[in-house]
Amino acid sequence: MPFPHVPLLPVLRWATFGLLALTGGLVLVGTILQYRKDRQNRHRIACYQAWETQLTDYLFKKGYEDGSFGPVSWADRWLFRDFLARYQSTIAGQEFELLRELYLGMGLHASLPQRLKDRDPNVRAQAAKEISVFRLDEPAEHAPPPVTERPWRWKPGVRMEGYLDQVLPLLDDPVPFVAHTAAQALTHSRSLRFAAPVLAWVMREELYQRERLLRVLEGFGPDLLPWMKENLESPNQNPEPWILYALLVGSHRHRESLPRLLWLLDVPSVDLRASVLKALIILADPEVYPRVLSFAASPAWEIRAQVARALGVLGGPSAVPDLLPLMTDPVYEVRRNAAQSLVDLGHSGVSALSWLADDPASDRFARDMARERLEWADERGHL
Amino acid sequence: MTRRWPAQTTILVVEDDPATAKIIQVRLEMEGLKVLVAANGMEALEILHREQVDMITTDLMMPAMNGFRLVQEVRDLAPPKGRIPILLLSSNHSEQDMVRCLAAGADDYMAKPISVQVMVERLWRLYERSHRVG
Repeated sequence: MPFPHVPLLPVLRWATFGLLALTGGLVLVGTILQYRKDRQNRHRIACYQAWETQLTDYLFKKGYEDGSFGPVSWADRWLFRDFLARYQSTIAGQEFELLRELYLGMGLHASLPQRLKDRDPNVRAQAAKEISVFRLDEPAEHAPPPVTERPWRWKPGVRMEGYLDQVLPLLDDPVPFVAHTAAQALTHSRSLRFAAPVLAWVMREELYQRERLLRVLEGFGPDLLPWMKENLESPNQNPEPWILYALLVGSHRHRESLPRLLWLLDVPSVDLRASVLKALIILADPEVYPRVLSFAASPAWEIRAQVARALGVLGGPSAVPDLLPLMTDPVYEVRRNAAQSLVDLGHSGVSALSWLADDPASDRFARDMARERLEWADERGHL
Repeated sequence: MTRRWPAQTTILVVEDDPATAKIIQVRLEMEGLKVLVAANGMEALEILHREQVDMITTDLMMPAMNGFRLVQEVRDLAPPKGRIPILLLSSNHSEQDMVRCLAAGADDYMAKPISVQVMVERLWRLYERSHRVG
């Protein structure tokens, strides 16, 4: 079958021309975009350099007076906001209060509600952080003087309260670091009205992640513990939040919570008991030794492993006879913790380990573990 | 209490964030101190070999050489440089880091965010103490 007649040369010519025009157009657009970006960068650097000098004058020489920082054009306000953000995590005290005055005085907080809903997760996180750092929700008793006395700062109709409530939905943000920043902003306020949602957010995470998130919860301060005691479900019904409670008692070294910890030991949950034992190790009260010892024969190895650490800390050298049976435990972690406790006890513990290591009649696992830990201690100069 | 820094007292500020470095520098210059700025531990050591420095304030987390390593390097120098008082600044609040830095030979530790007024006061105490002891 014959091919239809196609005028090949003109088609090729037009296609080449079209391709060249397209490439030229793309290059032109790219150049324009790059030029704009360079211009913006140059402008940003120039602004930052000027503002750095102005800021040090403002912080250390002039102090806050209306306009003492110098004018910032409306178009550069977003740039100025980013400029101030650089100081949020480094400057505190009197200088930070002056930064806060500047931030509020320029009305930079007015855009927060929109920024909390921005499509860019960095913008959402930054907005949540600003609310927390610049204390945009501080209680009325700490609020500055009335509007009439400071008209430069308080635009009519701009309320300071309620900003943190707008951060709350970010706890459900699909981007983890935004949710994390929101939780930090809420805990930083120390307001226990946010304790329930933040705790619920922590509980949605995997168990291993929760321990990492304790730092966020610690932001509420020691008042969180009594709040948890009053508001959590019974540990028999839901032991999981009580694991956090136990770990928080440990991190705050909150000795008043000792009776509650001992009570939690009765709850038949392995993870909860192990966490309570961890907290008891930190509180280090020798009175609880007999209670801890009663868990040495627990069927759960996680509990026995914690007991092996706790006995050495709580009992001192007198714990050696109770630690030796744990050296023959079938689980490696338990034997290792028992051996470590013996090393930490010093002379009496090391003597017991040396005896185990040298006695051919001792349990094979106990003997190997004793040798391993003695070598470990020797390498580090602990012997 | 009035601080009376001797003339030409020199302090080395080691900080990788230029914005923070500038704030610290200006405040210390207002105290009448001569301020040298380095962006990391390597630069700081170069300056130390070249110049007479009376005190160091350093950030902990920095590129090239961190503050912890810098403290160790300074303490390995022969006296008097090896005994220069060092104030460490860190945004990491962990107890372990604090202990590690003090054990390495830092004289004091401040967690960020810092109040520059408090920092100046601490530097003065360090200076006073080192000169009393020295």
